[in-house]
Order: sequence, then structure tokens, then C-alpha cells
Amino acid sequence: MPRPASTPGQIALAAFIAIFLLAFLVVPVATVIHVAFTEKGTGSFTLINFADFLRTELFIRSFWNSVYVASMAVVLASAFALPLAALTTRFVFPGAALIQTLGFLPLIMPPFVGAVAMQLLFGRNGSINLLLDDGLGFKIPFMEGLNGVIFVQAVHYFPFILINLSAALRNIDRAMEEAAQNLGSSGFRLFRRIVFPLAMPGYLAGASLVFVKVFDDLATPLLLNVKDMLAPQAYLRVTSIGIADPMGYVISVVLIVVSVGAMWLSALAMKDRDYATVQRGGGGLARRKLRPGESALAYGVVLLILFLVLAPHVGLLLLSFATIWSFAPLPDAYTTAHYARVLGESSIYIKNTLIYAALAGTIDVVFGVAIAYLVLRTRLVGRHVLDWAAMAALAIPGLVLGIGYLRSYYAVQLPDGTPLATFWIMIVVALAIRRLPYALRACYAALQQISIALEEAAENLGATRSRTLRRIVMPLMTGGIVAGFVTSFSTAAVELSATLMLVQSNADAPLAYGLYVFMQSAAGRGPGAALGVIAVALVAICTLASHVLIERSQRSKGAAS
Amino acid sequence: MIIRRTLVITLATLALSSTVALSQAPSGKVTVVTSFAKDVTDPIKKAFEKATPGVTLDVQNRNTNAGVKFLEETRANNQVDLFWASAPDAFEVLKGKKLLQAYKVKAVGIPEKVGAYPINDRDGFYFGFAASGYGIMWNERYARANRLPDPREWQDLTKPVFHDHVSIAAPSRSGTTHLTIEAILQGEGWEKGWRVVKEMAGNFRQITERSFGVPEAVNSGQVGVGIVIDFFAFSAQASGFPVKFVYPSVTTIVPANIGIVASAPNRAGAEAFVEFLLSPTGQEVLLEPSIRRLPVNPAVYAKAPADYPNPFTDARLGSLLPFDAELSETRTAVVDTLFDQLISFQLDALKAATKSIQDVEAALAKKDNAAARKLIADARDLIAAMPIDAAGAAAAETRGAFTGAKEKGARQAEFEQQWASFARERYAQAKQKADEAAKLAR
Amino acid sequence: MTPAGITIRGVNLSYGTNHVLKDVSLDISPGEFFAFLGPSGCGKTTLLRLIAGFNQADSGEIRIGGKDISALPPWQRDVGMVFQSYALWPHMTVRRNVAFGLEERRLPRAEIDRRVAAALDLVGLAALAERRPSQLSGGQQQRVAVARTVAIEPKLLLLDEPLSNLDAKLRVQVRRELRELQQRLRLTTIFVTHDQEEANTICDRIAVLNAGIVQQVGTPIDLYERPANLFVASFLGTANILDGRVGGEGAARVFEIAGGVRLPIPADRQIAPGAKLMFRPQDASLIAGGPDRITLDGEVAHREFLGASVRYGIRIGTAEIALETPFHAGDALREIGRPVTVSLSARTSQFLSP
Repeated sequence: MPRPASTPGQIALAAFIAIFLLAFLVVPVATVIHVAFTEKGTGSFTLINFADFLRTELFIRSFWNSVYVASMAVVLASAFALPLAALTTRFVFPGAALIQTLGFLPLIMPPFVGAVAMQLLFGRNGSINLLLDDGLGFKIPFMEGLNGVIFVQAVHYFPFILINLSAALRNIDRAMEEAAQNLGSSGFRLFRRIVFPLAMPGYLAGASLVFVKVFDDLATPLLLNVKDMLAPQAYLRVTSIGIADPMGYVISVVLIVVSVGAMWLSALAMKDRDYATVQRGGGGLARRKLRPGESALAYGVVLLILFLVLAPHVGLLLLSFATIWSFAPLPDAYTTAHYARVLGESSIYIKNTLIYAALAGTIDVVFGVAIAYLVLRTRLVGRHVLDWAAMAALAIPGLVLGIGYLRSYYAVQLPDGTPLATFWIMIVVALAIRRLPYALRACYAALQQISIALEEAAENLGATRSRTLRRIVMPLMTGGIVAGFVTSFSTAAVELSATLMLVQSNADAPLAYGLYVFMQSAAGRGPGAALGVIAVALVAICTLASHVLIERSQRSKGAAS
Repeated sequence: MIIRRTLVITLATLALSSTVALSQAPSGKVTVVTSFAKDVTDPIKKAFEKATPGVTLDVQNRNTNAGVKFLEETRANNQVDLFWASAPDAFEVLKGKKLLQAYKVKAVGIPEKVGAYPINDRDGFYFGFAASGYGIMWNERYARANRLPDPREWQDLTKPVFHDHVSIAAPSRSGTTHLTIEAILQGEGWEKGWRVVKEMAGNFRQITERSFGVPEAVNSGQVGVGIVIDFFAFSAQASGFPVKFVYPSVTTIVPANIGIVASAPNRAGAEAFVEFLLSPTGQEVLLEPSIRRLPVNPAVYAKAPADYPNPFTDARLGSLLPFDAELSETRTAVVDTLFDQLISFQLDALKAATKSIQDVEAALAKKDNAAARKLIADARDLIAAMPIDAAGAAAAETRGAFTGAKEKGARQAEFEQQWASFARERYAQAKQKADEAAKLAR
Repeated sequence: MTPAGITIRGVNLSYGTNHVLKDVSLDISPGEFFAFLGPSGCGKTTLLRLIAGFNQADSGEIRIGGKDISALPPWQRDVGMVFQSYALWPHMTVRRNVAFGLEERRLPRAEIDRRVAAALDLVGLAALAERRPSQLSGGQQQRVAVARTVAIEPKLLLLDEPLSNLDAKLRVQVRRELRELQQRLRLTTIFVTHDQEEANTICDRIAVLNAGIVQQVGTPIDLYERPANLFVASFLGTANILDGRVGGEGAARVFEIAGGVRLPIPADRQIAPGAKLMFRPQDASLIAGGPDRITLDGEVAHREFLGASVRYGIRIGTAEIALETPFHAGDALREIGRPVTVSLSARTSQFLSP
């Protein structure tokens, strides 16, 4: 229930957010993609480029391929996430916490080297297929064509569904389930008719995020040499030199429209399903013990899924210790030389990565909380525009944003003459803008779960809106805030596309950049993998630390829910 | 609480690191944007800094296209001194946009051409400092497992045994690959050249969008054979990968270049680096095993090991064919787009048609059939057909569609769609004919 | 559906070191409207959930209709439970909610529709069948919850504090409706509550629980007139309690209260050691006189005019007792602070241990 009139404070906050988004998202992107709307040669406004888009068979084919791949990736990611989420939230399952943490790792996959590792394990001549071919005489085309993209993307992004679905499952009032059991329902029927529908908002939040990310992702298809999808087509054309091709920007516009459209559709679907804490307490679903037969099956399923989704990291680890790994199930021999080579140089990369990612994560949760609050708790005109604008950042390729920043801000100079665009803080802003959607969704979900009565009680006792926000709302949102921070942080730590355009010197470079440089030569594969392992370990440790912190704070707040 | 603590820590770190960041910019720093890997830039950087005390080289690594874009966007307040990459087409683009500045090199001993290719830009905006040859690289283990013969010539790659085992980088993404394709076109002529290229392409497993993608796939054994620059193969061998390499008898020699960026902040330092690269000391660094490039100073080869390829004396290395650099420049965009639209984006259709043809030819080798043979010849012609001839490719209007010229003519998208449909129809027809021939050949 | 009786024998349940139910044994007759009554934490809800199958007892057995159900999971017990929060599924309409149990039993569609319509009619919500729970008031939600359970015609009906979320006026109305429903369906019903008025007004028998132990089982009048101990006495109705000692012997026994007042004890009365004197407010009188009556001197501390009666709080020594007298038009009321004499009789008092 939103409140009456908007306070000047709220208006000021909204204005500040709007300016930030304008300056660092809308304007830079506009400077890049306006080409899509101009006529070649004269520069006048035209929509003819879009007509060309619709007339070009390659683009239409790419469009439908992208839709197909994104949809199937959601399906496959759900297949991975559902069993894990259900098992860890509905049963007494030792290692549930470990699974939830491990299930998060696929999100942290360093660019380039992750794909190499995947190819070495699942490729046409990767470990699994070589063994299958030798032993049983056939191969499984994990990584071929569109199916390969679906597989890799599902493995990479399924944590979005896992995290959101688990959170939603945990928040269901136990009485809902017990009432159904009391009336005769149990097992899978119970899950299908009662539990899953009630968890639908969480599932939809994760699924829509996966759809949009996969639709807009250009790195994976390119590395698998799949070019007939929209995002890689955009990239190839935007980065071509020597020709003035507007189609890359036309495709970028299409990407943005589709992504915003997908998020709007999912918001529509969730509108009437506001199943938030109308219930008191709840205490989450009762956890059932597993019978030995069920237990064996459950462990089997979990191990299979974990194997599939953690395989890239296993491959990465092997690669980092490998001397030569070529057309063989396993490396020829192992060595620690790569780590030795990398550890010397990587301290500056590590420092930069930590700073950039932490700052980006902090910016994201601050804006995430602010936008969520404005949308859910005020009646401000146009507040939904802020939400959509922030979410649209998902669809912007990092490359486009990087070019946009250069175009908009290179002329602006800092006092010592260095251009603003290459000042390292712009890298932080680029990282923050592109990750804001994750933090925003997490904060939004967290705020939705808080009954407004809690805030009203505080105001009744004399607290102003801002004090209530600080002392009541934000502490209660801690779970969502930390989840948003962790997602932003860990994906920012391995981001490369915008970084590549904006990094000016090695002193400013993060780990992903150092990794990229290594991966340009044959001898650099091992050290690149070592750097990748360090990046993943770093992020995993930080993630674990924040989970521990939030557990401790929840416990100190007393038996929460 | 947690939020506050995090904020305090991050603010503190911010304050600390900004002092570090601001303490940059010592004198004598030369900034270079390059697409070369660390293995190449590190030894050269070390040698340069040793030879020129007081000057440090700051290497910014970007792929060629990103580097060009970066220079374009930052021209208002350029902070980069040098652009250092392989492909001349990137330099041509920069030169065209007035992002390079001319310089008269003082170093001596560098001839005008290496092989058939001019070493330096005739207007003095960029300079070749090393050369490399294109050739064929293959993975021994893969070859053994798939029973592939060792390839020797480009023509070998058109043979049915190599179907679905070959990889190449897209010419539109790799300037050096582009030169190789252009050399074939110039050597064989437009029509015949494209025929050969398409016959090879029918055997492609993948077309990568960056040069290094090809050797990387061959190294891992994901692909059997790759069309690569020699140093990729040599550095892979030096790292221990089970790969072999051969120069075909018709090889392109492609140069690697360096140019000084317009309004360079440290012009003196930039010039010093160019001079160093072209000096005997600098040229010798190229012989190191991790670099393995061909110097452009013929005298340096005296210091090279005995079997080191020498483009100035070795007849194998492309010195026979004349290469018209001007012609190449005029039709760069068209050739790239033709390759993309006729081959890269129709690869599945092309491969399917080629496979059908190859199967029929294998059957006909055992039992001949004149009608089938005629159909196959037609099918091959259909595949080889081009939507535009050499004159059209070099024509100003065609070129204008791709370069954002002010004249209103056909748009790039129109050409692309035309060419794509052309190829799609013909490949489908070719497959049809091949399937008919297959029935007859049984 | 023939109603079933419930037999509970020797049930114990502990959560860790917390012994929540201690050796509970009860018999509930078929068709009875039975209450579990007690303060919060006494174990009444735990016992209810045990019968429903959501908790597992450490020892003892529970039989429904003579059949031991301890090993059955909740979905096989065929007992209908109305939850305190109603637990209506927000993503289903009222009709779907009510139909749920029938669908789980795989009944034919026509039968399901018939029973749903009947259940909704029973609670008077037929017109709201297509609404969602969020569009209903608290009272309406509760009725849907009831309809949902009676639709499956269970062996027994379990109601977990069904009136606690309703406002006072609604409570009275709804409890009557629940009673009528139960009578009409002849369903064995267990009603959990902490409110003795609810238990008294609609239940056939009540089990009073405290700290996991069944204190007493009986009809409302039994529990009121013959409480087993002080706890039951104070829980059902107001109880005045005075400390004292037994003195004398045989027929001349007296109960000596502080201040030297001696109350003669009837010869047939058994008094446990440490027992205290308990009497109801309406059994104390401001009018002295009568054999076996004693008088106590006190002072009026409070006075509440209740319309049909007047309730006085009278301080006697250090204790305060409640005294209630009927009021008729024209009666004079005692003033606060004035001395009064209170008379008691042993016949209308009891001697109870805690």
C-alpha cells in the first residue's frame, strides 16, 4: 500500500537517481546507437535501417535463434535449479548450505578461459567425448551449434534461478503446505499444486533474468563460433573497422527493446501474485527426512547436477596446472609453474579487482534500495521509469557502454589533464551500471516481503521516513541487500567487455584484463587459467564471507521468522 | 551496520588508491596500444628500455578492432603514442581518419619490399618492422585419430578427407587472413580465386572471429587443421603442443606494422621506439623463440639459426607473386563482406552442398556416369558463382555503400541481403543437383 | 459419515529438553464437541497437531475410530484441520480451495462440484465462490477454511484457535455457527482455545491442560463446580483463594484463616495437606448469618457495576477477594473505602491444592 503525498526528500532522491542513470546510461548509449536512426550520408532521422533489419534473412534468423536459445536455456537452467532448490529447502539434507554456495559458483566464470575449459571437457574432442568415443563409439554434441550455446549458458546462469527460487521456497508459510497435506495431498502433487505456484514470483524473477542475460550475451556464442544470433551479430558489426555499418546499432536497439519487453512481461505476470508475507511468521516449509532409498537418489541427482555445473571450474583448475592438454581426456603432465609466473604480477590486478568490484557492488545496493523504495513505497509519478531504465542496462553490451563513455566523457578533463573517461572510477561506474539490475531485483524482492505495518509502527513512535528507512527497513532488508551486493560483486569481478574499452594502463587493470592478455598466446593458456582460478577463489571467499556475516546478523536479531 | 562498515572501508581504500593513481605520469613514458601478446611485447619492452634508459614503455593490450575504435573515440585528448599491430588494413583505416602522423625513418638497411609486399606505407604513416608467412598448422594427435594426411598445399584443403576438420579466422576480423585471401584472389584471378576459396570453405569446421581462435582450437585438438600465421604455430610448438606446420608453395608474406599516433603526447619517445624496432638490435629481438617473427632487415638473418625461414632468399616464401596493394585496399570492405555473406553466415548450407558433391565424386570414382558428372560440374559452378564481378567489386558506388560516403546509393544492408540470398539459393540448387547425381551414380 | 471416537494413551513429546506433553491420556466420544483448553505453551496445539500428524510422539498411541494412526502420514489420516491463520491458498479461488481435498481423493468431477456447492452453502458463501482469498474479510476466510475441511467429510474436525483472529462480536456469532454446524454434521470435533468462555459456551466436554499435563476432563459445569485443583478453578471462572491451616479433629475440624477466623469444615470433606480455600464470588455474601457460615471483616477496595450484578473487590487483611451480588433496581451500593463484612460457608467452598 503506497503512501500519500510525495515528500521533497523523495523527489530529490528520484531526481538524483534519474540524473545518474541519464548521465551514465542513457546519454552514453544514445551517443552510440543514434546511428541506428540516421540515414547514411545525410545524417537525417530515418527508420529505414530497421526496415532493412526486417528484410535481412540473416537477422531474422538470428533473432529467432536468440529467442530459441534464451528460452531453452531457461528450461535447462530450471532443470538444474529445481531439484537443488527443492532438496535443500524441503528436506533435511546435510550439505544444503554447501550446495547453495557451490551452486553460486557458475556465475563467476572468467571470460575466455572458462570457454576454453568447457571445450576441453565437453567439446567435440573434449575429455568426455574422447572417452565415450573410445569406449562406446559415439559422441554427445554438448557444445555443437545452438545446443552448445544453450548448454553453456544454462550452466553459467542457472544460479539466478536457484537463488531466487530457494529464497521464495523458504518464505512460504508452513501452514499452506500442512493444510494441503491435511486434505490428502503429498509428494509431487503437493509440490506441483501448492508449493511451486506459491514460489512462482521467485521463480519468475530468476527465469526472466536468465532469459534476458542469455538473449543479450555475446561472449559465449562467439567463443563457440555461433554467429547467427543477435548479440554476436551486433558485436561483430559494431567492432568492424573501416566500414560505417549502422546495423550493429540497430541490433543493439532491438536487444534493448526485447529485454525491456521481457522484463515488463514478467512483471505483468507477477502483478497479481503478490504472495508476500501476508502470513505471520511462517517459519518456512517443514523439512522432511529422507528415507535411505530417496536419499541415495537425491545424492545422485545432486552430484550429477553439481558435476555438470562445476565442470568448467574443474576444467579451469586442471588447465591451470597442466603442461600440455591437447586432444586427450586429461593433461599430459602437471606443473605449478603457471602459478609461480602469475602470482608475482597479479597482486595489482587483485587489488584493483577488489576495489572496483566492491565499489560497484556498494553503488548498486545503494541505488537498488533507493529505487526499490521509491517504486514500492511512494506514489511518485514516473517512478517505474527509473525501474525500467535501470533494468534496461542488462541489454546494453559492455562494449557499447564503453564506447559511449569514451564518446561522452573523453573530452572532459580532470585537473591534471587526464581525461575523465579513462579515470579508473569510470570503470567502476560502468561495472555498477551493468550490474544494477541484479541488485535492484534483489532489493525489490526483499522490500516486497516487509509488511508496511512495521514502518508505520516506527513512524507512529516518532521516527521520520528516513530514520525509519535506516533503522527499520534496511536492517530487515539485509538478506536482499547482501544477495544483491554479492551478485554484483562477483559478476563485476570477472567482467571484461566494458573494461577492455576503458582500461588505460596496467596499473588500473583488473584480473579479467590480465587474464585476457595472457590468453592471447599459446604459452599464456596456463597462466591465464591460473589467474582465472585466483579470480574465482577470490570471489568465492568474499561470497562465503558475506553469507557468514548475514547468518550471524540474522541470528543476533533473534530467531528470525 | 554491515553497510556502514563496508562503506567506511571502501571509502578508505578509495582514498588510498586515488593517491596511488594520481602519482602516475612520470616523464619518459611511451604509451603503445597493441594487439600483440605478452610473449612478444615483454622481450621487446625489456630490450627497448635497456637500450633507451630513462624511458619506460607502457603497453596497453587490445584486440586490433578495439584499439582502432579506442583511438577514434579518444582523438580529442589523445594519450597514446603508438599503434602497434599486424594487419595493414587497420593502419589504412587510421591513416584515412587522420589518426596517424607521418615520420621519416632514420634507420637503414630495410628494403622496399619483402616478398611481393611493400614493407612501409608509401606515404610514411606506418612502417613494417617484421614479417610473417601464412601456412597450415595441424594437430598430430587429431590427425592420427582421424587418419588425416599431412597437408602440403592450399589445394589439399579442398580434398574430401579434410571435410569438417579445418578452421580459419574471418577475413573481416583478421587483417592478415584477409591478405591471404586477397593473395589467392590476385594470384588466381577473381572468379577462379573465389572458386578455390569456396572449395576450401566447404571443408571448414569453424570460422573464428579473432585470429588467435584458430591456433587455440588446433592446440586443444578441437579442430584438426588451421590456416594460421607461422608464429602462432612456432610459439605453440615452443610451448610443447603436439602441432606441425608447413608453408605451402604459394605463401603470402604479411607484415606487422607500427605507426605513430597523431598528436602523440610523447613524440620523441615514440620516434625512439620506432627507430629501436627498426635498428639491428631491435630486429634481432624478433629472432627469440617466444616471438619468432621474420625481421625486415636482411642482414639480421646472419644471426639466425640455420633453418630459420628467410623471405629475402627463400623462393618458397611468396616472392614469386606480384601483389597489388592498391587494388587490395580498394576492395577490402567488399571482399570481407562477400566472404561473410557467401561463406561465414551460410556455412552450414555450403558445407552440406559440398559434402553431397564430395560423396558423389567418391562414388563416381568407382563407377563413372556421364550424366552425373555433368550434374556435379553444374553443382560446382553454382557454388562458385559470384554475385558481383571484379570490376563491380572495385567500383566506387559499391565501395561507397560500406564507407558511409555522402552519396546516396545502395545501402550496405541491401548488398548484404542481395549477396546472402544469391548464395543461399545457389547452394540449395547445388545440393539438389548433387542429390540427383547421387541417384544416378548408384 | 459415522463419527469416530478418539483414544489417546500415554502420549509423551519432547522438543530437546523441553518436555511438552507428559503422559497425556484422553477419550473423546464420537460426535462430541471437545475442547483443549489452557494457557499458551500448555501443549494444546501440540496435541492437536499430533492428532493431525504434523508432530510425532515419543511414546504412547492415538487411535481414531479404534484404529491406531500413529504411523500414518498426515495425508492419510482423513482428519480435517482448520488452521489458526486459515492457510487459504492465495493463488486459488474459493471454489478451488474448497475443491482441493476432493480433487486429491480423485473423486469424479460431478461429485466434486456437488460437494463444493454443498460445503459453500453450509457456510453461506456460495455467492463468493469465484473470489480470491485476498478479496475476503477475516470472517469469510475462516468460513472458507471450514468449508474446505467439511467438504471432504473427514472422520474428525480439528479447529486450532479458530476465533482468535476475529473481532469480539463476530466471535460470538461464529462460535454459535460452528456449534450448529457440528451438530448438523455430527462430526467429532476438537476445539483448541485459551478462552474459557468459548470452551464453556459451545463444548460438550473440556480437557484442561497446563504445562503438558491434563489437569482435568469434564463438562463445563463439572469443571466449574468440582475443579480438581486450584489451576482449573482459576482458569474456569474467577476463583477466590485464601491460605490457611486445618486445625482440630473429627467433627470439630476448622480451617483457620489468617486473622484468627475459623471456618468449620463439614465432617465428610476430605482435605489434602497444603490445600487452600477456594470460593466463587457469587458464593460470598454481604449478608451475615446462617449456621456454618463465618464472617470476615474487610474494606471495599473496588466496585464494578455490571448491570445485572455488582462486583466488589474486598480487602481482607492482605488478601483481596472478589464478591458478586445480583443487582435489583433500588438496591444501595456499598461505598469504596467502607468497611464491610463478608460471610462464607464451607458448603459452598472447596479446599483445593494447586
